[in-house]
Order: sequence, then structure tokens, then C-alpha cells
Amino acid sequence: MSDPAAPQEPTASGAAAENVEYRVAHLQDRLAAEELGELGVRAEIRAGAIVVTGTVPSTQCRETLLRIAHEELAGLTVHTDIVVADNARPDHAEEL
Amino acid sequence: MIRVAAVGDIHMGPDSQGLLRPAFETLPDCADLLLLAGDLTRHGTPEEARVVAQEVRDLPVPVVAVLGNHDHHDEQPEKVTALLQDAGVTVLEGQGTVVECAGTRVGIAGTKGFGGGFVGRSAGEFGEPLMKEFVRATRHSADSLRTALEELAGQGCAARVALTHFSPVADTLAGEPLEIYPFLGSYLLAEAIDTAGADLAVHGHAHLGSEHGMTAGGVRVRNVAQPVIRRAFNVYQLQGA
Repeated sequence: MSDPAAPQEPTASGAAAENVEYRVAHLQDRLAAEELGELGVRAEIRAGAIVVTGTVPSTQCRETLLRIAHEELAGLTVHTDIVVADNARPDHAEEL
Repeated sequence: MIRVAAVGDIHMGPDSQGLLRPAFETLPDCADLLLLAGDLTRHGTPEEARVVAQEVRDLPVPVVAVLGNHDHHDEQPEKVTALLQDAGVTVLEGQGTVVECAGTRVGIAGTKGFGGGFVGRSAGEFGEPLMKEFVRATRHSADSLRTALEELAGQGCAARVALTHFSPVADTLAGEPLEIYPFLGSYLLAEAIDTAGADLAVHGHAHLGSEHGMTAGGVRVRNVAQPVIRRAFNVYQLQGA
């Protein structure tokens, strides 16, 4: 999912909060600290946008993650590619 | 031949109940046992552990697990362990167990493991007490893994498997940022595996890593974190066992 809106004025106040790097760090802190307990999602600054990628355990987790990402990065261009884990059984085994 | 099913990092929560059970119920068709490589929950709460327990309760194949760092977050690993044990799961921390599969004995040695990094790029047991404690925790975990594997060697097992949450090798971290490798595993685990011997090493933890790797001593390593294998579990057939 992409949100290609042009960057707007950051909504957070304070010099540190306006620095995009720290805002990305704060997003990752929040994903770990809140209900998701999520450490496996990557958030990177790429060509002026924030790219958030990873795999989460459920559809509900994906919705929560997208909401938090857009809240924390409000005003910035955010591209997301979050996959929900596949719970299908394997169709073959690996012979070792 | 022994068929080992394995998955880690299933990160179950209240919204997860029943997601994996349909695939787990097919296990008797394709596997002799199921290994769970830690991070079974999101925060290690009893509520989340009950979801995991219900997902694997009374499965028709033996289930052996280690906990992961997420399963420690609520600081109740004993409670998480007890809830899983109540559902019939054998939970290992620095111990081994022998599973009988169709007349064949399979030994599994398990520990969560910890970080520290890999040869030439690793933390040392030096300096501040916190730093020494960090490395000692990994060393203690690796020592317990080595001892458990050595004890299994004398118990007539056709195959021995090392089960950890943190990675013993860097190979299976490929895809993760290099800067965080020291938080993803330790060569001390691989050294323990190579010293004691094993037929397979299984771990999780590195969601962005890759599945296949090998220790310096030639033991095959598989990262079975669910985001990596993109399945409910993978199955490894140990030939000659």
C-alpha cells in the first residue's frame, strides 16, 4: 500500500521530532512497545520517502501496524509493503 | 528416515487462535515430530501462551519447543513454559529430550541461546559488568546446549537435532542488516553444536534472514522463522536416521 501524498509540514513539535531519522526510530520503538510487540518490521528512509516492509502474524496486526505507521509518520510520504504470514502447510519436504 | 517439522516466530496473540491449527492437524501425514523455535508469543503473557497451547494441544505428533526473546518480555517464562507443558509440549532450556518416532529415537537438545555476534565481529566478556553478563549468558546457553547434545550421544539416538531461537551462524541471517547481527545470534552456539555433534540445527529469530546455512563443522542449519519459510512449518527429512 502506498500513500504518495507530497510531504507536508511535520505535525510533531520540537527539533528532534522534526528530524525524519528520529521519527523513524520512534516508530520502531512504538511498534515494539505497544500491542504488536513488533521487532521484525523494517522502516527505512529511501529517496525522500519512508518504506515500511515486513511480515506480521495476522490481518489485524497488519491493520494496526499501518495505522501506527501513518500516525507516527504523519505528513511524510510513506510506502508500505506488509505481508501477513502464510499459514498453509508445505507441499514438499526437504531431503537432507 | 525421520521427518522433522519445524517453525519459529509464530508470534501468536488473541487474534491468532485457530490460524495454524488446520495445518498442524495435517502433521501426521508428513512429519514425525514438530519443533517450535521460540517467539511463540508477542509479549510472553500467559494470555498469549494459552493461545499457543490451544493451537498445539493434543496434536498426534510430539511437540518440542524452546522459548524466544518475545516469550520472555512479560518476565514470566516459567508461566509460559508451564502453560505449554500443560498442553503436552516438551519445553527445553539447556536440556535434551528423546522422542520415539516409529521405532526410531530422535534426540533434541534445546536452548533459547542469545546474542553476541560471529567470529571476528563479536562481543567479548570484558569491561562493564553488564557487558560481561551479556556474553556470559550466551556462553552459559551454549555450554548447556553442548552438554545436552553430548548426553544425547549416549542414548541410542538415530539422529540429534539442536533447537535454538537465536542463530548459531551468520549464513541464515543473510537479508538482515549487518549492523544487527550481534543481536541475532552467536558463534558460541555453533561451536557447541560442532563440538558435540548434531545432524541438524534449527533456529528462528531472524525474520528477514534466509533458510539455509551450515556451521563451520558442516552441520546443516535451517532458519525456520515463519516470515522466512512462508509456511505454517517446513519439513526436513533426515536420511539414514
